[in-house]
Amino acid sequence: MTEGQQMVKEVYEAKQDPRKADDLIRRYIPFIRAEASKVISRLCTEQDDEYSIAMIAFHEAIVGYEKSRGAFLGYAAMLIRSRIIDYLRKEARHQGHLSLYEERGEDDRTLMDTLADGKDHMDDLVQREATLQEISELAAVMETFGVSFSDVADNCPKQSRTLAACAQVVRYGGENPHLLEELLKTKRLPLAQLAAGTGVERKTLERHRKYILVMLLIQTNGYEIIRGHIVHVLKKGGASV
Amino acid sequence: MKYLVMECHPGYAVVLDEEGRFLKAANLHYQVGQTVSRIEPMRERPPKIKQGRWFYSLAALAACLVLVIGALFHLENRPYASVYMRINPEVRIDVNRNNLAVGLEGINDDGRQLIQGYDYRKKELDTVMDELVELAIAADYLHEGGKITLTLDAENQAWVVEKEETLTSHLQEYLSQHLTYTIEIETNRAGDQSNQAEQGQEVVIPIHQGSASTEASGFGDSDYGESDYGGTWQESGDDDDDDGDDDDTLWEEPPSDSAYGSAGQSDYGLTDYGQTQPTSPAEEQDDSPYADEGQSDSDSED
Repeated sequence: MTEGQQMVKEVYEAKQDPRKADDLIRRYIPFIRAEASKVISRLCTEQDDEYSIAMIAFHEAIVGYEKSRGAFLGYAAMLIRSRIIDYLRKEARHQGHLSLYEERGEDDRTLMDTLADGKDHMDDLVQREATLQEISELAAVMETFGVSFSDVADNCPKQSRTLAACAQVVRYGGENPHLLEELLKTKRLPLAQLAAGTGVERKTLERHRKYILVMLLIQTNGYEIIRGHIVHVLKKGGASV
Repeated sequence: MKYLVMECHPGYAVVLDEEGRFLKAANLHYQVGQTVSRIEPMRERPPKIKQGRWFYSLAALAACLVLVIGALFHLENRPYASVYMRINPEVRIDVNRNNLAVGLEGINDDGRQLIQGYDYRKKELDTVMDELVELAIAADYLHEGGKITLTLDAENQAWVVEKEETLTSHLQEYLSQHLTYTIEIETNRAGDQSNQAEQGQEVVIPIHQGSASTEASGFGDSDYGESDYGGTWQESGDDDDDDGDDDDTLWEEPPSDSAYGSAGQSDYGLTDYGQTQPTSPAEEQDDSPYADEGQSDSDSED
C-alpha cells in the first residue's frame, strides 16, 4: 500500500471515529502549523487564533474529504489557507471596534467585566469548576448511552423549525418526569410517548434521537448550571440567563 | 449569544448555545465549562460530489443526439428543389439534397387526381417521374403527340443544369422502353439565361409519334426504318447547341426557324407516318399544335 493510499484509508477511518480524527490531527500538528505560518507569513504559535482556525480547517478537511478530491494533504492545505484568509478578512472588519465582551490580555476578563465589575472573579473560577463538574458527570452518563458530545453536535437539528420541534419535545419530557425516570431505567428513549404527547413526527425524533436524549438527560437531577444556560429553551418564555 | 464549552478536542470544541444547539467550533484555547461569547463555528461539510453524475452527462448526451438527429431528419425532409411536371395534369415534386422525393402535390385538378393514392415516399426523383408518367399514360393523359414540360426550380443553379440533362435523358430512355412506338422528346428551354435564373428552368418534352432519328437517339427502335427519316433529320440536326443553352439532349435543334419549321413539317409530314404507323391514334391534328410549339419556342430563344 502506498503512502497516499494509507493516508486516504486513515482519513476515511477518522471520518467515522472522532478519536481517530483527534489522533490524526495530533500527528499532523507540525504540518498544520507550517501551513498556517505560510499564510500569515510569520511563525504561527499555538497561542495564535490562526492556529486554532488551521486546526478546525484540518478537521473540516477530514470530514469533507473524498477520494475524488485528490491527495488529502493538498486538499487540507488548500482548506487551511482559505479558511485562515477568510478569518483574517472577517477580523479586519472589526479593526478599530472594540467588543465589550472581547477578552483582552492574558486574564480572561472582558471589557464588560471591567466596566461593571460587580462579580467576584473568585466566584467565576468556582463557577467554572462547578460547570466542569456537571459537564463531566453528564458526559459520564452519556457514555453509558454510548453517546459523546461530538455525536450530539453532528446530530443537532440545523433548521430552526426542526430545532423548535425538538425543543417542544424536550419541554414535554421535562413536564413529565416519569418519562425521564423511564429513560434512565430502561436506557431507551420513550419516542412513541414523546411523539404522541407533542404531535411531532416520530421520524423527526428518530433523526435527532441523540440530541433529544442529551436534552432530556440534562433535565434529570443535577445539571443546574447547564439547565440555567439553556433555560430559554426548557421553559418557554422563561427568563434569559 | 453565550456559548458553554462542553467538550474540547485538539481540532475543535463542542459548545452549547443558549437556544439549545450543540455546535462544533474552532477551539480558540477553550476549557470545558468556560462560557464564551464569540465562536468560530465549523463549516458544514462541502457538498458531496453527487453519485450518479454519469446519469446527467448521459442525459445531456442523449439530448444532443436527439437534437442532431432531429436536425438531420429535418434537413432530409426539407425540400431542396422542386420539379414541376406538366403533361396535362400538373404536379410538383419536391426533392431533398439526395434527390429523394419529400413532397408531391397536384397543381391542377388533373394533377391531384393523378397522384391520388400514389406513394412517393422514399423514392428517387427519377422513379417518381417514371411512375407518374406511367400513371398518366394509364389514365390516358399522355399519348402520342403529347408533351411533357418540366420546370426545375432550385436555389442551386448547378442542380438545375445537371438535372436538366439527366432528367430529360432519363425520361427519354424510360419512355422508349415503355411505349411501344417511338416517341420523340424535345427539350427546349424557355427564356434566356437571365430569366432562367429567376424563374427556374423549364424543360419541355413534347412527345410525338412516328418519327425517330437513329443517330440522334439511343432509343431508336427497330420498328422504324432508318431510311424513312434519316435524310430529313440529318439535315435539321447539324446544329448542335450553338444557341447557347446547355441542352445535351438527343434531339438536335434546328439551326433556324425556317429550317426547323420545314424539318418539322416534312418530318411529320402526313406521308411519312401515315405509312409507317397506320395504327397510330394520332392524326394530323396533333401535328399542327406541335409545329406551332416549335415555332414559338425557337422564337423566344432568338
